[in-house]
Amino acid sequence: MRIKHTILLAAMILCAGILKAQKPENVIAAVGSPPNPKVAVSWNRYNDYTAITDICKRLAAAYPNLVKLESMGKSFQGKDLWVMTITDNKIGNPDKKPAMYIDGNIHSNEIQGSEFALYTAWYLVEMHGAGNKSIQSLLADKTFYIAPTINPDARDNFIHQANTANSPRTGLIPIDNDRDGFTNEDGFDDLDGDGHIVMMRRKSATGKYKVDPTDPRRMIMVGNDEKGEYELLGSEGIDNDGDGFVNEDGEGAYDPNRDWGWNWQPNYIQSGAYKYPFSIPENRAILDFVMKHPNIAAAQSYHNNGGMILRGPGALEDLDTYNAADVRVYDALGKKGEEMLPGYRYLVVYKDLYSVFGGELDWFYGGRGIYTFSNELWTGYSMYNKTDGENSQNQTYTFDKDLLMNDAFVNWHPFKHPTYGDIEIGGFKKTYTRLHPGFLLESDAHRNMAFSVYHAYNTPKLAVGEIEVKEIGNGLKQVTAVVTNERMIPTHSSQDVKNNIEVPDVITLTGGTVVAGMIVNNRDMGFTTEQKIDPANIKIDNIAGNSFVTVRWIVKGGSKFTVAVSSKKGGEASKTN
Amino acid sequence: MKKLYLFNLFFTLLLCNAFAQSQQDYSNNANLAQRIKALAQKYPQWVKTKSLTQTTGGKDIWMLTLGSGQTENKPAIAVVGGVEGKHLLGVEMAIGFAEKLMASTTTDSIKNLLTKQTFYVFPNMSPDATEQYFAKIKSERSGNATKTDDDRDGKINEDDFDDLDGNSKITMMRILDPTGKYKLNSDDPRSLILADASKGENGKYILLSEGIDNDKDGNFNEDGEGGIAFNKNASFNFKAFAPGAGDYAVSEKENRALFDFLFDAFNVYAVVTFGPTNNLSTPVTFSPAGISKRIITGWFEADAKSNALVSERYNKITKTKDAPKTQAEGGDFSQWAYLHYGRLSFSTPGWWVPKVSPDSARKEKKFVNEDANASYLRWAASQGITNTFTPWKAINHPDFPGKTVEVGGIDPFALINPPYKMVDNIVAKHTDFVVGLAAMAPQINLINLKSEKVGDGLTRVTLTVMNDGELPTYTKIGDRSYFLKKIIVKLNTNNNQTVISGRKTQSLESIPAKGFNELTWLIKGNGKITIDAGSPTTGSKSIEVSL
Repeated sequence: MRIKHTILLAAMILCAGILKAQKPENVIAAVGSPPNPKVAVSWNRYNDYTAITDICKRLAAAYPNLVKLESMGKSFQGKDLWVMTITDNKIGNPDKKPAMYIDGNIHSNEIQGSEFALYTAWYLVEMHGAGNKSIQSLLADKTFYIAPTINPDARDNFIHQANTANSPRTGLIPIDNDRDGFTNEDGFDDLDGDGHIVMMRRKSATGKYKVDPTDPRRMIMVGNDEKGEYELLGSEGIDNDGDGFVNEDGEGAYDPNRDWGWNWQPNYIQSGAYKYPFSIPENRAILDFVMKHPNIAAAQSYHNNGGMILRGPGALEDLDTYNAADVRVYDALGKKGEEMLPGYRYLVVYKDLYSVFGGELDWFYGGRGIYTFSNELWTGYSMYNKTDGENSQNQTYTFDKDLLMNDAFVNWHPFKHPTYGDIEIGGFKKTYTRLHPGFLLESDAHRNMAFSVYHAYNTPKLAVGEIEVKEIGNGLKQVTAVVTNERMIPTHSSQDVKNNIEVPDVITLTGGTVVAGMIVNNRDMGFTTEQKIDPANIKIDNIAGNSFVTVRWIVKGGSKFTVAVSSKKGGEASKTN
Repeated sequence: MKKLYLFNLFFTLLLCNAFAQSQQDYSNNANLAQRIKALAQKYPQWVKTKSLTQTTGGKDIWMLTLGSGQTENKPAIAVVGGVEGKHLLGVEMAIGFAEKLMASTTTDSIKNLLTKQTFYVFPNMSPDATEQYFAKIKSERSGNATKTDDDRDGKINEDDFDDLDGNSKITMMRILDPTGKYKLNSDDPRSLILADASKGENGKYILLSEGIDNDKDGNFNEDGEGGIAFNKNASFNFKAFAPGAGDYAVSEKENRALFDFLFDAFNVYAVVTFGPTNNLSTPVTFSPAGISKRIITGWFEADAKSNALVSERYNKITKTKDAPKTQAEGGDFSQWAYLHYGRLSFSTPGWWVPKVSPDSARKEKKFVNEDANASYLRWAASQGITNTFTPWKAINHPDFPGKTVEVGGIDPFALINPPYKMVDNIVAKHTDFVVGLAAMAPQINLINLKSEKVGDGLTRVTLTVMNDGELPTYTKIGDRSYFLKKIIVKLNTNNNQTVISGRKTQSLESIPAKGFNELTWLIKGNGKITIDAGSPTTGSKSIEVSL
């Protein structure tokens, strides 16, 4: 009863706070942030699926011209996989503008990716609403497809069930991990019922561990010439199925990020793979969405942790897929990311992290030719704004003490275990070590959002420049047009061109009767390559980044000519002379 | 009009009925469905049928479960036909196997087999494609009805074959041209072979499939009807962006439906494919290179030995010989069944053009050149088959004005599908083979049970778990895959009995053919205990022990 009252009181104070903050005359904008957001969100805590759904709906309701909310499909348990299409709907066709796809939370325990994705959506629309010119121009040119969580079943499991910081990484399709014919029959057990799975330790004369004299919460290994006082017994649990193993067959246990259709390998080669590419329903829904949106030219997926901006290849076997021309684009984007995200390093998965077959970023790039990063959010650098190095283990304890008021640790406390007898339970909460502490969440979300904005800004921007008309006798005119790409990313990645993944860009002339059409290879020397079939629509394999192509037609009649360019990933543009 | 329709319907029904009694030709999908239905009606105690899914072309993917009782708990063989849409024979062999096996249920041995094991039969995995055999204009096709842009030019199915000579068959066309790479085969000038430039030979002909360059891109018939081929869409060695392969592996409904079923069918210990790949006439050879890298591309030694043993049995039972060497293509099903599904996978086309020696009466000479077409024509002549070759005939071709273009060649389908009258014998021999394979199945046995008194109320129990079969309980390649189950050995005790040493429940890794594991326990207490051992691929056994 008293608790209820307290909550009510707290809620009232909170509401009052918000109401007060919404009065424009009482605040002055902090630069770079929306001063009076229509959709109030606290960016220092984590949201379950219901809360995420609510934020998405509120954004769509507050900014109907900027946000369209739809479901990409259903999760294994039947939850909608929300995606927000964010763009200025008054300008152009959303599905024809160069687009950036962003998702989070593919690994269910890596939950902050959803908050980062949501923050990006929120920031874009609130700044647009606040009249920010950069964002207004961005949303005029580009579309963002933002899917806050692509693993909602297991996200809710992480939040609402007892877990470690590392569980579950999987989705929730039941799997027989110990191959005994039963699924999920021996998972963790929240022995003390606090919602966190922490460690079990037992006093032991032959133990290899002792309590750290500088911090009694921490267990350290004894030296070879020392006697220990404790043994560690793993994560909280019991042998539920009586097979002599503890916690060996818990929730699910496949890896949604080993399920994508590029260089996919079965689970005996790539642990975590399920049946075949896109055999996990959540990924299949995303696949369908991406295939229906050929305008996606850039992609970002959010993971944790370690402060990394990752690109493929995921496996050495795929080294040749990432060719030099595309790597140059990746490098330019990734290096800028390193500047924007302190403590983050731009790395290549297979050589700097570990080997992954069937990863999401490899399919986006290898299968669809889309420049894609995975960011590993949260770095120990952020604790004291310096590289953590050898002290990283130690730092997690001091940081908790110095800045988190010891909120991250479940203190060791006794428990009577059915198999192990008198033990103690303690350790870091599931919400620590891999997830941002509240006060750093918004700031890092903002930096990552800015990196995505930079990435999206650099998707192609096509324009028809000069149109030159020249009489060449016999009633024929020569029309020469220059089409430019004003940004860093080409209309077709080199991987795309190599495999004809996406159809060529088409430059069309209307006005007059086209007799012949050609690509101009060298305008000064008059080198051209004629296109014999359908000369009015010149096909161009690629318009490179910060570059141009020149095309030419020989035309009978007409004097007003319109040149239009249409590109799946590069958008559309036209001009009349 | 209505009357005519009714008359037609009546006639069709009559025809169907006639087919059911005595097949005259390969089965189209309607006919196949009839045969499946007839089996289920005639043998309800042994046959269950179901449609796994429908293709994009709206055709059913049929599955028959042959067996009795809890079929999902008995060791099983999956028999798969129609993996290649041009290969009508494969469909016939799969459904024919089911029909012949059922016809044999009058014998005790087959009855006994069907109470112990299960057969999952998938007669046709390419029903959209095989239907082309029955089309007005016959052309070989592997792809399903999914709309694809095979030449990746942004247009769909814009350059299909064209029946230029109006004979309702898509054959070949040859164009007299100095840039051509082909010459007439001196062994049989009806056939063309590549000129060997290294021997100073000149080509005379361009050789293409029959058709027009409809989209004027310089390539002929490169993007016709027919989308994704079942046998190019599996995940092993998948060739992304190759025509007919699909944008990503296992993209098609029929592939997914079959794979979903098979992955959950833990009882399957072997897959038999009636399709283009052949590892039954000659088994795979073990090569260390195939298993030395992370991505496994070849058979493990132990599994290759199983293949050799089964191959020996195949040759003995079917008495087939002279099989040509085959090379599995990327995304092939039978390779997938071993390398990604982790089961013993056996595949045979069932028939190939037999070798015939020259007939002196016909003034035939020994062939100088390797040429499947010439071999076929010689064999066909020896069988009195004369209507499967269209003689070369000049036509006017819009893409080659002023040039000599001739259309002709061997009928589509003829090279890999024998005349229908030969099919029954092929099916019979291959049915015997599958039954022979089932006789080799892994089988768990509990032997050498020993119970010794160690002290007061303390008994040592020793037991050997043996695999009596000629195949392993699961493959070496499947060792690390959670889609293959271990043998679980469970000791059932009552409240007065305690296990002092040994595990109450334990799992055993794969046991090779004729291999065994000895297990031992110390048990305190009196009375009886039971020990159960089993896995989905081996069946279960139980034994009682007195303490």
